[in-house]
Amino acid sequence: MPIRHFRIFLGASILSAMLMGCNTGEKVDFASEVRPILNKHCITCHGGVKKSGGISFLFEEEALAEGESGKKAIIPGNASASEFIRRLHEDDPELRMPYEKPALNQEEIDLLERWINQGAQWGKHWAYTSPQDIEVPQQDQVAGFLPENSDFVQNDIDHFIMARLEENELSPNAPAPKGIIARRLAFDLTGLPPKAIWFDAYTQGEMEYETLVDSLLAQPSFGEKWASWWLDLARYADSKGYEKDQGRTMWKYRDWVIKALNENMPYDQFTTEQLAGDLLPDPSMDQLIATAFHRNTMNNDEGGTEDEEFRVASVLDRVNTTFQVWQSTTMECVQCHSHTYDPFRHEEYYNMMAFFNNAMDEDTPHEDPVLKFYSEDDQKTLDQIFQWNLKHGNQEVADKFNKFLIYNEPFYQVHHAKNFVNGELADTKYLSLWPNGSCYYDDIYTQGAPNLYFKYWANDNGTVMTLRKDNDTGEVLARFNIDKTPREIIRKVPFVQVQDSIRLFFEAENTTLPQQTGTSFISWFAFLPDLPGEGQPGHDQIQKKFLDLLNTVTPTVPIMIENPDYMTRTTRVFERGNWLTLTDTVTPATPAILNPWKQEWPKNRLGLAQWLVSKENPLTARTLVNRVWHQLFGNGFVASLEDMGSQSEPPSHPALLDWLSLRLMNENEWQLKSLIKDIVMSGTYRQSSEGNPTLHQIDPENRLYARGPRLRLTAEQVRDQALAVSGLLSSKMYGPSVMPPQPDGVWQTVYSSETWAESKGEDRYRRGLYTYIKRTSPYPSFMSFDASSREVCTIRRTVTNTPLQALVTLNDPVYLEAAHQLAKDMQKAENIETAIARGYEKAVFRELSPDKKQALSELYEESLATFKMDTKAMDDFLGTADAELAALTVVANAIMNLDEFITKS
Amino acid sequence: MSKDSLDRLIHEKLMREVQAQTRRHFMKQCATGMGGLALSGFLASCNFQNNGPAAALKKGLQLTERDLNPLATLPPPFAPKVKSVIYLHMAGSPSQLEMFDYKPELAKLHNQDCPQSLLQGKKFAFIRGTPKLLGPQAEFERVGESGNWVSENLPHFKKVVDEVAFLKAVNTDQFNHGPAQLFMHTGTPRLGRPSVGSWVTYGLGSENQNLPGFVVLTSGGQAPSAGKSVWGSGFLPSVYQGVQCRSKGDPVLYIDDPKGMSRDLKKSTIDAINKINKAEYAQYADPEILARINQYEMAYRMQIAVPEVMNINNEPDNIKEMYGVEPGKESFANNCLLARKLVEQGVRYVQLFDWGWDSHGTDHSTAVDLGLRNKCRQIDRPMTALLLDLKQRGLLDDTLVVWGGEFGRTPMKENREGKEMGFMGRDHHGDAFTMWMAGGGIKKGACHGETDEIGFSAVDGAVSVHDVHATMLHLLGFNHEQFTFDFQGRPFRLTDVHGEVIKEILA
Repeated sequence: MPIRHFRIFLGASILSAMLMGCNTGEKVDFASEVRPILNKHCITCHGGVKKSGGISFLFEEEALAEGESGKKAIIPGNASASEFIRRLHEDDPELRMPYEKPALNQEEIDLLERWINQGAQWGKHWAYTSPQDIEVPQQDQVAGFLPENSDFVQNDIDHFIMARLEENELSPNAPAPKGIIARRLAFDLTGLPPKAIWFDAYTQGEMEYETLVDSLLAQPSFGEKWASWWLDLARYADSKGYEKDQGRTMWKYRDWVIKALNENMPYDQFTTEQLAGDLLPDPSMDQLIATAFHRNTMNNDEGGTEDEEFRVASVLDRVNTTFQVWQSTTMECVQCHSHTYDPFRHEEYYNMMAFFNNAMDEDTPHEDPVLKFYSEDDQKTLDQIFQWNLKHGNQEVADKFNKFLIYNEPFYQVHHAKNFVNGELADTKYLSLWPNGSCYYDDIYTQGAPNLYFKYWANDNGTVMTLRKDNDTGEVLARFNIDKTPREIIRKVPFVQVQDSIRLFFEAENTTLPQQTGTSFISWFAFLPDLPGEGQPGHDQIQKKFLDLLNTVTPTVPIMIENPDYMTRTTRVFERGNWLTLTDTVTPATPAILNPWKQEWPKNRLGLAQWLVSKENPLTARTLVNRVWHQLFGNGFVASLEDMGSQSEPPSHPALLDWLSLRLMNENEWQLKSLIKDIVMSGTYRQSSEGNPTLHQIDPENRLYARGPRLRLTAEQVRDQALAVSGLLSSKMYGPSVMPPQPDGVWQTVYSSETWAESKGEDRYRRGLYTYIKRTSPYPSFMSFDASSREVCTIRRTVTNTPLQALVTLNDPVYLEAAHQLAKDMQKAENIETAIARGYEKAVFRELSPDKKQALSELYEESLATFKMDTKAMDDFLGTADAELAALTVVANAIMNLDEFITKS
Repeated sequence: MSKDSLDRLIHEKLMREVQAQTRRHFMKQCATGMGGLALSGFLASCNFQNNGPAAALKKGLQLTERDLNPLATLPPPFAPKVKSVIYLHMAGSPSQLEMFDYKPELAKLHNQDCPQSLLQGKKFAFIRGTPKLLGPQAEFERVGESGNWVSENLPHFKKVVDEVAFLKAVNTDQFNHGPAQLFMHTGTPRLGRPSVGSWVTYGLGSENQNLPGFVVLTSGGQAPSAGKSVWGSGFLPSVYQGVQCRSKGDPVLYIDDPKGMSRDLKKSTIDAINKINKAEYAQYADPEILARINQYEMAYRMQIAVPEVMNINNEPDNIKEMYGVEPGKESFANNCLLARKLVEQGVRYVQLFDWGWDSHGTDHSTAVDLGLRNKCRQIDRPMTALLLDLKQRGLLDDTLVVWGGEFGRTPMKENREGKEMGFMGRDHHGDAFTMWMAGGGIKKGACHGETDEIGFSAVDGAVSVHDVHATMLHLLGFNHEQFTFDFQGRPFRLTDVHGEVIKEILA
């Protein structure tokens, strides 16, 4: 056997763990050997949550420090003097550790003693150390298992896989037949069955495998397939969640994801634009749309909810989701205490929160800030205003007004009102003063602006509103009439220039309205300077156009925008995770265990994104590689996709994980398509997924890859495939989400008038990712097939196998219609035998074997006889008098329920 | 292929695998020298991590019928008191002060300003400023041998008061419907965790393989505020989520065969599918295919069993009368009768939601002296009938019935945004509210917990939502601290780090 570089690499961590117990002299590795024992037996009482006796084994300095007793738990180099070891040997049950739990076994105690005697060196878990250069293992081409599998090694990936197979005395499968691999590849790259023309070209040898791969990667459907995966992580949905769960116009973000994936946007850029597109210099509309990633948090419009509570909930969700999506790390528990098992400190959670805590959105029903999409004509006006401001002012002025036009910020939310007298926050959302009503706002900074802009509506005439400095006797800063408005509008009124931050006092008078009636309903107010160029010809028209544009109703998408300096929020640590109990003030920072922060990065979301995509970050690339591999094989190298840390199982192929991660960042320049291509070009991927009971017993989850992947299609794919093979699938891309038929009475939302308005025409047959997702009531058949309701970040859909799934594909009218369409096509064949084969081959992309053909033929004959005898039933079934077609439909329905149909082999 | 021979095929297959697997697993442990650590990790785990055949094969230790059928019955770790749960949730939250928590002092203080001391540091959904106290809008009397208080709004219920144990001082820290309902059913106000029914079905499976193990029935025309998440499976496999059964339309979505497709033809279809799937298994040896064969057989049986159990027309007239059912409609009475039928058939967890209890006093239907009486009338007879019917069939000893809302209501009259309102209503209040339980293991006629003179705060026997969950799990044979599921690198439990069994109401 040749030397295995693979083993050399492994030596430090995994292998030694595997050899543990047989080996007495070898150096003990903390991360792989000691840490698991500590986590299993000790850390519940001596860790991030509890520190009994003042001892914790989570951080090195705490473990080596004195406990409350004054004794040191661990004295490096001297196990017998270490209190920790002494307590493991204790006979007195009051003193023996673990307290009231079974004692550690001798093997474990020996190992801990050796570790302390060797100096008690702390070590970082592999997941928190950057991947180092990896040499590709080479197999001996003469000896071993290769001859009969000489097709196996197609690229470097296969050497890593081969090394592990050899260790386990397994050999890889033969390559899958061309038809099988073409279908597998098409589903993995585009989420759809292969196009007949390519399928034929490839299977008949007229097209190279690599050409097929490249062609599929270039399909627009590539972006749609991989968007389904990313949108689970992004918790994308078309509604806001919680009780009212009103619709939210979010599809521009979904479309952004599809386009970015199709354009093969490098993952570092993909990351940066979504986390901080708004903070990039002169952000484009697309970069602003990308920030909607973190506006997919839920918004609570339920009556009587406190906006601040749910704003904070959104911010926490952003911290948790960012760590789940990019770092395979669960930060949720660190909200209340230091991480139970991994070296993240309680305060560090709030350091992370500080990055996200300064966004403008505040759980208001309008979901401001939202990005407005003007029509082409309006866009011209927008440009005209921009040019005017540039000409008469400068770049800064032009930008300021432009931003106000495209997302109305910065403004003050009305829900900060204090001390209502005869007034209320109507519906807990709108500032509404009754006759003789007043309230005030603190810390209002007008920047000396002479204009107040505010968004409101009024149901009645005759209100006089006065804004004063400080209180009811303060200087009048603005006074204006409010009359009935046709709808909610944005209005401008003159405002006395004030330089300082002030308390702004609002009062309303109306002599005709009854008591306790809202005189107007305001949702925000803002302060802006005059448009430049006053006195110049055309100024008035520009001013009018500006106000008209502000009042133009457009499609929107919620985006992330940072508060200006004068509205910055302070972030404070929540005691035990309670947002009402605030303690120390913190500033943005990343966890100390991970890669260091570079001085040149700004301390905001942009800097955070740069930190994440820094090549020194140990988790970003590994996380992506692990999850992309999972998409293709149904397994990650690290089995727990959610968690890479001391609680996760060791990776199945640590060297390959790191090799692919480095290759992704360096050679492949963060390009997802290149990563995917590397994997699907491998012999590992191209193996047959056939197995035998022995192989399934040796490696039930296929962690060693002695066979190709065999996985049930996803919820979207099950439906897309049925529509595709029957010719019903629409290829239309993008746009508002659609509502294909679903059973009546599925939507029953409290306090909402929104209904499922069934889509017409081709919108009934769009790909699944365009189906409207209402969080409290998602599309039922997708839920049966394990889709996510998108309320929180979903890293992995657990694949289940249930009778309810069978009911969907057997009985849902969508599948019946698809079967009917397929049957019509089958009818074009010369005879029944060829018709059945034609339907099967069209659906499954395989030749129909004789035994299977017989089963389907028998079903056909029985159906035909039944329908001929019972024409009423036939009429009910399809509204057709064609018994042959009806019987073929039954057969097509059976085909579309076969395991080989809803599984990619 | 008949059901019997299919079962035999699967069973034989399993036995072979179990034997081979146990042997192989042992050998693997020795060969790789993984030592005691990993193995004891497997053995010591309190998890029931059975996510399908592959996962079980991996464990190698307990490949059971569960792996082909995720709803296969599993015994609980401890001796259970009950086998099933019927949970009656009054969505919107009923006023305990007009039903069970009698407060004569509050009547005396009616229309007086609420003392400031009660308002300090409290958050309400709609009450602003200083509200007035609102006396009980119903007459109360002590009933039964237990002498527990019940109001005139529930005349029928008085007959069964000695069957139930009251919790008079349950508290929740949530005062908005959505989060509070999530808390009540998943143990946390945030999304993403499994519901109680999912935990229970995951832990115990179902006694009836032809019906879903966890059934949800709604009435009142609206789904609960928190949507389907209150019966969601969170991070548990989706097979354990609640299945909504409906009185109108298909009782379960897609359960009905397409029009014109006879049962015989459906049977033939499934036979053809399974015949081909078996051929596929011969080639690929993927145990998922066996599981799928099993699921298609189950689907076929479910298509018969579900409409049968959901049909209340065949019940005798005296039973229909007893519940006050209205066939063809979506009513709480129908759902109570269905709940009995479902547990009788071995369904593990039946969750009822009845909408319309949000008595703010914004109009007639939400006034505590008007609309609330109607709501009480709608549930009084059916929930009484449910207890009596379960009892007369000997099912009450094996069933736990839980009744409650997501929180309680204030002793103050709601003054929405500080305004005087035209009807008498009460705002949301989570500090102390009433729930009751009845059935196996419950101390009949018990009353635990007490509120202060006006029913605002607990003065004795306060229990939390987590305590309620711990008690439910206890009765089903679980220690709530040991019933966990590994997710995101740590074990999760229904009660998080909280919860104590409420021993005071246990028999």
